Amino acid sequence: MEVINKPQKRRSRIYSSEARVAYICLIPAFLGLFFLTYLPLAGVVGISLTNWTGLKSPQFVGLDNYVKLFTTDPYIKDSIIATIYFAVLSVIGSMIYSLFIAMLLNRKIPARGFFRAIFYVPYVLPAVAIYVGWSWLYEGNFGFFNYVLSELGLNKILFIADSSYVVPSLSLISIWLAGNLIVIFLAGLQNVPGVYHEAAEMDGANGWKRFCHITLPCMTPIIFYNLLLSLIANLQVVTPALALTNGGPGNSTRFLTYLMYDQAFVNYKLGYASATTVIIFAILAVFTVVLFKTSNFWIYNEGGDDK
Amino acid sequence: MSVAAYGRLRSKKRRNMAMNILTFVVVVIFAMLAFFPIWWIFRTSLMSNAEIYQYPPSLIPQNWLFSNYTKTLEVFKFWKYLWNTMIIIVPSCLAGTFTATLCGYAFARLRFRGKRLIWTLCIGSMLLPAMVTLIPLYIGWTRGLGLNDSYLPLILPFFCGGGAFNIFLIRQFIMSIPRELDQAGTIDGAGYFRILFSIIMPAIRPAMIVVALFIFIGLWNDLLQQMIYINSSDKFTIALGLTNFRGQLKSDWSLTMAATCLSFAPGVIFYLIGQRYFVEGITLTGLKN
Repeated sequence: MEVINKPQKRRSRIYSSEARVAYICLIPAFLGLFFLTYLPLAGVVGISLTNWTGLKSPQFVGLDNYVKLFTTDPYIKDSIIATIYFAVLSVIGSMIYSLFIAMLLNRKIPARGFFRAIFYVPYVLPAVAIYVGWSWLYEGNFGFFNYVLSELGLNKILFIADSSYVVPSLSLISIWLAGNLIVIFLAGLQNVPGVYHEAAEMDGANGWKRFCHITLPCMTPIIFYNLLLSLIANLQVVTPALALTNGGPGNSTRFLTYLMYDQAFVNYKLGYASATTVIIFAILAVFTVVLFKTSNFWIYNEGGDDK
Repeated sequence: MSVAAYGRLRSKKRRNMAMNILTFVVVVIFAMLAFFPIWWIFRTSLMSNAEIYQYPPSLIPQNWLFSNYTKTLEVFKFWKYLWNTMIIIVPSCLAGTFTATLCGYAFARLRFRGKRLIWTLCIGSMLLPAMVTLIPLYIGWTRGLGLNDSYLPLILPFFCGGGAFNIFLIRQFIMSIPRELDQAGTIDGAGYFRILFSIIMPAIRPAMIVVALFIFIGLWNDLLQQMIYINSSDKFTIALGLTNFRGQLKSDWSLTMAATCLSFAPGVIFYLIGQRYFVEGITLTGLKN
């Protein structure tokens, strides 16, 4: 952090050659920030105010697309609900799962590297293959999960073909994919000073108490980071809908990004889809801001320790 | 040490031992659960269709039908898809890593006007979800530059810094390297680029590998963008090929699972080779924030 706030020095010739090198190094970043980030960001807002379909030249229609989205669009409400439902389930589930596994792996157990690899490996497999593979486990008649249900004497469930089960079923896959969160948590746990635990043990605190009063507070910055990472990723969910469900059954998996894809690249309503994009962006921004705002209350800062 | 204290210590040791055994058992159970889906997919890929529908299903195939894979490869052009995927991934990884290193170096070490502003813009773009820019970029690449059915819209963005997150990662890593190293270079008369190439780059090799891995994973997991930009089936990537294959052979589960396993393979191999860096890199991102 020390580099940015360097006191301003008198600009000498060395300094200007340094700056020249810097600008050359930053050419890719300039291009990327301008053409791939901020110009398209402005573009999406601009296009959302038009009725562009890709065929005729676009016409300015003001906020029509937004009005239509909120009044007559048959999908947007279901879509928002599905997205938030999926994201909340996946984020909560994967946070609990990954912290739990990380705490197990943080103890002295044999073959720790091997186990870490097992939990991590789903993360490096291509997402499409994961969803296709799991669709077989979820299959309605002969899938593994239905075999278990029938062994337990329960009725079969059409996991991904039943609108009330499909979102939790997909969330379970997303929880299973949280290997990267486990590794980050594990690294964080290894940074929790052992002295704290020893001191607490001396005072007679049991395992659960130590978890609540030492591990959790020390881990809050990492929890925040993982929460943010997982929330942003899960709110943009689209691959299972593209690869597996096509938004169905009904509209139960018509996630917002899928809705946008459908509007823009199947129906070629580019203006309308851009308005949807802006809405997704707004939802993501709200979640992110809320997370940041509340973070002051629950993130434990170890005396300004620079983490 | 008094006898009582010794006893306490021993009972504590014993309790710890019991806890460790319990933990190990729980870890083994969870690891089996976590690995189970992959095994189930793999075992299905080696079974005949009759065996798949058997009740109760068996955990291990009776005959290991590797012929399923030959059959799958007739329709699922795995090698072609893999090649196509690599045509996208390899240049992206190289260019992304290189340009991210250049930018990270500038932000970490060099002084120039407007640094704060550019850095803020860069960090700000990290919070911008990728799908927000999808439609304008699509219009730009296809309408503006006429790149229809081309890999370039997927590759070229990586020539532009490889994403703010990767620039951030490299910058953090360079900042953790003592400046004395650079200064030693300066005294020897090395220029800024010389310092970057012969002092900084060797020192941040782990971070560069990590960035390459992240770009790899991102492209590996992507379906949406590939779907949008690539149309013709002879340009299909693994993700597109598998989606398409599943649509064709919806009911033939053993062949579909064989195709799935084939798609798993490169990721697993890649992971086994780069495991150390994967773990190191992910750790790096979590802690340097």
